[in-house]
Order: sequence, then structure tokens, then C-alpha cells
Amino acid sequence: MMMANDIRPEPSAKTGERLLDVKGLTIEIDTRNGPATIVDGIDLHVNKGETLGIVGESGCGKSLTMLSMMRLLPNKIKVTKGEANFAGRDLQKMSNSDLRKVRGGDVGFIFQDPMTSLNPVMRIGQQLAEPLIYHRGMSKAEARKRAGELLKLVGIPGAEDRLDAYPHELSGGMRQRVMIAIGLACNPQLLIADEPTTALDVTIQAQIVDLVKDLRDKLGMSVVWITHDLALIAGLVDRINVLYAGTVVEDAPVDALFANPSHPYTQGLLASIPKLSDERSTRLSSIGGTPPEPGRRPKGCPFAPRCPLAEAICHERVPSLEGLGQNGAHRVACFVAQRKLEAA
Amino acid sequence: MSVVPMPGTAAEIEPPVSLWRDAWHRLRRNKLAVFGLAVVVILAFTALFGPYLTPYDFLSQDLNSRNLAPSLSHLFGTDDLGRDVFSRVVYGTRTAFLVAIVVTFIAVVIGVTLGALAGFFGGWLDRIVMWLTDMTMSIPNLLLVVVINASLKSPITSWMESRYLATLNPVYRETIWVDFLLVFGSMALISWPPYARLVRAQVLSIRSRPYITAAQALGLTNRIILMRYVVPNALGPLIVAVSAGLGTAMVLESAFSFLGVGVNPPTPSWGNMISDGLRVWQHYPHLLAAPAAVLGLASVAFSFLGDGLNDALNPRGAK
Ligand SMILES: Nc1ncnc2c1ncn2[C@@H]1O[C@H](COP(=O)(O)OP(=O)(O)O)[C@@H](O)[C@H]1O
Ligand code: SF4
Ligand SMILES: [Mg+2]
Repeated sequence: MMMANDIRPEPSAKTGERLLDVKGLTIEIDTRNGPATIVDGIDLHVNKGETLGIVGESGCGKSLTMLSMMRLLPNKIKVTKGEANFAGRDLQKMSNSDLRKVRGGDVGFIFQDPMTSLNPVMRIGQQLAEPLIYHRGMSKAEARKRAGELLKLVGIPGAEDRLDAYPHELSGGMRQRVMIAIGLACNPQLLIADEPTTALDVTIQAQIVDLVKDLRDKLGMSVVWITHDLALIAGLVDRINVLYAGTVVEDAPVDALFANPSHPYTQGLLASIPKLSDERSTRLSSIGGTPPEPGRRPKGCPFAPRCPLAEAICHERVPSLEGLGQNGAHRVACFVAQRKLEAA
Repeated sequence: MSVVPMPGTAAEIEPPVSLWRDAWHRLRRNKLAVFGLAVVVILAFTALFGPYLTPYDFLSQDLNSRNLAPSLSHLFGTDDLGRDVFSRVVYGTRTAFLVAIVVTFIAVVIGVTLGALAGFFGGWLDRIVMWLTDMTMSIPNLLLVVVINASLKSPITSWMESRYLATLNPVYRETIWVDFLLVFGSMALISWPPYARLVRAQVLSIRSRPYITAAQALGLTNRIILMRYVVPNALGPLIVAVSAGLGTAMVLESAFSFLGVGVNPPTPSWGNMISDGLRVWQHYPHLLAAPAAVLGLASVAFSFLGDGLNDALNPRGAK
């Protein structure tokens, strides 16, 4: 498969034109013992044309951050602070009807589980047509024609014949392609893919990554790809944000992150990438323990209880995300990493 | 780009039709469901047209031919007043359908409304509805009905009589429909809780399914999500319940008749025929067997049809 990256226009990462800009977003859940913080004042952004990878173990708050931006949180979970600006407008303050135009129209979503994210009693052609009719005002016939084109675009064989299939008649990989087609139906400026390959076989995972890469280059959109598998997205993304316990602990261009992982958690993630001969594993073999549960966040650095390098200060103060080196494109939230760099 | 081979071919996929047409195709492949449907259709036809086609009037008595065993001239024999049992069973079909449809309709309207509101809004509304449901279900059904009938029937009837004497308005003279009102009303009153529970559970579970979040992420309106995503997915189990509920209502009417609070004679109902037949079944078994067999057949047919409809409405195949 050809690397389409070469022909792609230079992402405007350097011009810093932000398509998505999340500032200080805090998410809380109502528990029996009162509200507990799940995501703690997260900052993140995506530039126009850029592909951002968000990496972190399960339970770090990756999905909830994305859902909360679009105000799609389940009942007991709420955004208590912060803003999420899309193309300069705060999605948190937008009216419901404006927000509906952004959802599906400007921002496409692909969810983790293609088995349960499609309506089981609706033919896939109709599920594809729904956003086209609603956002683009197409007639049923136009929408059906476009739906067929979309299925072809995502590489479904016999695309037109598949329009009348129900989700259960397709394999997992095919269903995820359908989900991608639905996410792309209205030519969104931003595609958010939340672990879209976790439920799929390893060989299919790579195909889906390649497909999205291909489509991104064809359609020129920005992408946020969430995963706990760093290796999978190495060839796809421009920049990576490493998430831990609802905060960004490291933010770096993909090459810099692999060449010089600075946060102990990132180092642990990279060390746990299985060798080709190994079984696929989502466990962090080199870091013991699990992320803190909501309501049990430690004082100080959230990673301190698991961190091999933790010092006294780590249990007292929260490290902020600071730029390393001259241009500051590589940022890390760790006292030890920051000090090492200053010393160097 | 490489492409995964697909199981099956395009030829396997049927031409574009609606969910309902698909359901019909699947229903026809299910033998039990087809049997149930056939019986239900025949019974419904009987309820509509049967009374005009029977060889005898259901009321006409022939005291020279009482308690006759089944024969060619009286297929199900005759009863103690010499009335043709076949004609009475046929007319009873109409009563059974009337009771079942009216009762189930009222129960479904109450149950679906309360259940959907409870499931959708939750909170105190949910608690009140669930409390009402549990209350209603915890009172023994037949007791409730007997109490309602005993306590309401005579005051309403005597109130109507006094109104009639005072106003001479003919509306107040006919008290038969008070019977029906009480029978239907009290049966509906004990029949709605299962529908409320079912719909509440369905709404709750469907609301948290990923495809609902996915539909919201597509920017679809709540109305579209409710009509195309929630309702069709909730429909299967409700249809099963309604279909089985029609059969249950017919059985319930018999139980009421047995307790003397059902549809009043001389209007034939399977229920009052069965309860009459029970008194003499040792001597004239056909008086019990004919209505009981038809009631059993109807109840089984509705339940087969309901199961078949559920499978048919659910393209996943499994329940
Ligand atoms: N519907 C929910 N109800 C209660 N807690 C939830 C719910 N969804 C997520 N959480 C909690 O919020 C935290 C973050 O979840 P999530 O954003 O799904 O993590 P990730 O996507 O990184 O795996 C987890 O600790 C999880 O237990
Ligand atoms: S700040 Fe301290 S505890 Fe946190 S990651 Fe760095 S060294 Fe570890
Ligand atoms: Mg997730």
C-alpha cells in the first residue's frame, strides 16, 4: 500500500490554525459518594488538516472527552468547567439545533464497536441516507445513490447490493467500514475515531487504519484517532497526545514521541508494545497497577503511585504541561523529565 | 486497497422492501407462526361473519332437543335449553374478540404510556409508575375484579335507574352496557402492568445502546431517533406481549364468568359456556369440551403468532 502522506499538502500545524480547541474541560460523574472527577481540566487541540492520536489505557477518559465535546454524555456524567471550540465556536454554549448541525455535518464520529453502533433493524443504506437527508437536504433517491458511492469509497465489494443488507449480514470489518462511511457521509471537517479497530482482528485493524489514511488524504479532513495501541497509529498520525487519568501528560509530534519519549508513562506504553512474535496485548507489562478510579485521584502527579521515578514533590504538586527544547512542540507534564532537560 | 472477502453473495439479498415486508417474508418461513396466524384469521372471520352464517340462532331454544350429543345436524350438540352449541360457540367468538380487543387496547394504552414515560424521564415519575405497577400486581387479580364488580355494579345500576325515573331519558334505561363497562374496565385495570414494565425496560435498555449515541452523533433529531431507532427496536417484544395478551384476555374472561362476574347470559361467551358446562360435564361432556377446546386453541394460536412475529421483526434472527 502506498504512503499517501507524500502527496498530501503540508498540514497547517505550523500555522497553528486550530479547528478544535478544548480548554480546561472538566468532567464529573455523580456517584453515591457525591461528584467525582473523571477528566480534570484537559487541554487539547487539533489543527486544520492535522491527524491527532490520543493514546492511553482504558479508563483514562478518552471516550468521555470526545463525547463531552459534542454533549453526548450519558445521564450522570456532566461537564462542569471548560470550553470546546470548534471552528471558533464553543460547542458547550451552542444551541441544540446549531449543535445538531455540527454533529454529523461538520464532525463525523466512528465508534468502537461496529456490532452495536449500527441500528440492528435498519438497512445500512437507510442508515447512510439519514444524515444526507437531514444535513444535506437530499431526496431519498439522491441519498441512496450517494450512499452507494460512499460504500464504494470505503471499499465494500458489491457496494450497491449491500445497501439493502442489515448490519448482522455483514462481517465486523465490513460493519466498521459502514460506520466510517456514515461518519464521512456529509464530508465532515473533522473525523473522530474512538478505538475503531479494537473489536476487530489484527489483519483487519491495519486495513481500517489504511482506509482512513487514504480517505483523509482524499477528502482533506482533520482526524482524531483514539487508541490504546501506539504501534497501530504510528504511520497515521502527525502528533500524539498521551492521556493519563483525564489529563494530557505528553504532547509531541509522532516522530519526536517515538524518538524521545519523555514521560515515564509514555515510556511504559512504548515498552509494552508487543514484539511481532508476541500475542497482542493491551496490558502495560512494564508498568504495574491501574489508572486511578474516578473519585480516587491521588494528590500531586496522578501517575505518582505507579511511577518508578516518583519523588517527594510528585506526591505534593501537579506537574503542568511544559515545552521541552527550543520550539516547545514537544511538551510533557513531569517534574523529572523537565529537570533532566534543563540540566542537559 | 485490499478487501476482505465477504460471506455470501449479493444474490442472497432480497430486493429493497420495508421492515414490515421483510418481517412478513420471515414469518412465512415459521410453521408454528403460520399455524397461529391461520387460526387467528379463521377465528377473526368467525367473529365478524360467523353469527350470520350459523344454521341456528344462538338464542332459539328447542325444548324437544335438549342436551343432544354432537351429530350432523348439531355439530357440537345442544345444551340444556336445546340451543345449538355450535352456533353459541360461533357467537362466543365475537364476544371473545370484543373482550380481548377492547381490554388489551385499554391495557396497552395505559401500559405503554406509563412505561414509556417512566423509562424516558426516570426520577420521581418512574418511582410513582413503578409503585403503581407493583401495587396493582400484588393485589390478587380475581379478588380485585370481584370487589370492583360487587362494590360498583349495584350503586351504578341503581343510580341509573333513579336517573331514568327522574328524567325518563332512555340513555339511563339500558343497564347492559354497565356490565360490559365493568367487565372491560376491571380486566384492563389488572392487565396493564406487564405492558408498562415491558415498555419501561425496553426504553431504558434501548436508550443506552451505542446506536442511539451514534444516531445523536449524526445530529438526528430526538423525534427521528425515537421513531426510527427506539420504537422499531422496542416493537418486537411489545407485539409478542400484545398477541399473547389477546389470548390471555380471552382466558381471563372465562375465569370471570366462572366467578359470575363475566359477560352476562344470555349473551354467549366461551367463559359462561365453560362455567355452565363444568356443572354437568360428567353427563354431557360436549357442553364443556366444545367451548374449552376453542378457547385453548385460540390462546395457543395467539401465543405462537406472537413468538413468530417477534422473530420476524428482529432481523438478527435471535431473540
Ligand atoms: N456510563 C458510565 N457510567 C459510569 N462511569 C463511566 C461511564 N462511562 C465511563 N465511565 C468512567 O469514566 C472513566 C473514563 O471512561 P472512558 O472515557 O470510557 O475511558 P476510555 O475511553 O479512555 O477507556 C472510566 O473510569 C469509566 O469507569
Ligand atoms: S511527575 Fe513524578 S510521578 Fe509524575 S510522572 Fe514525573 S516522575 Fe513520575
Ligand atoms: Mg473508550
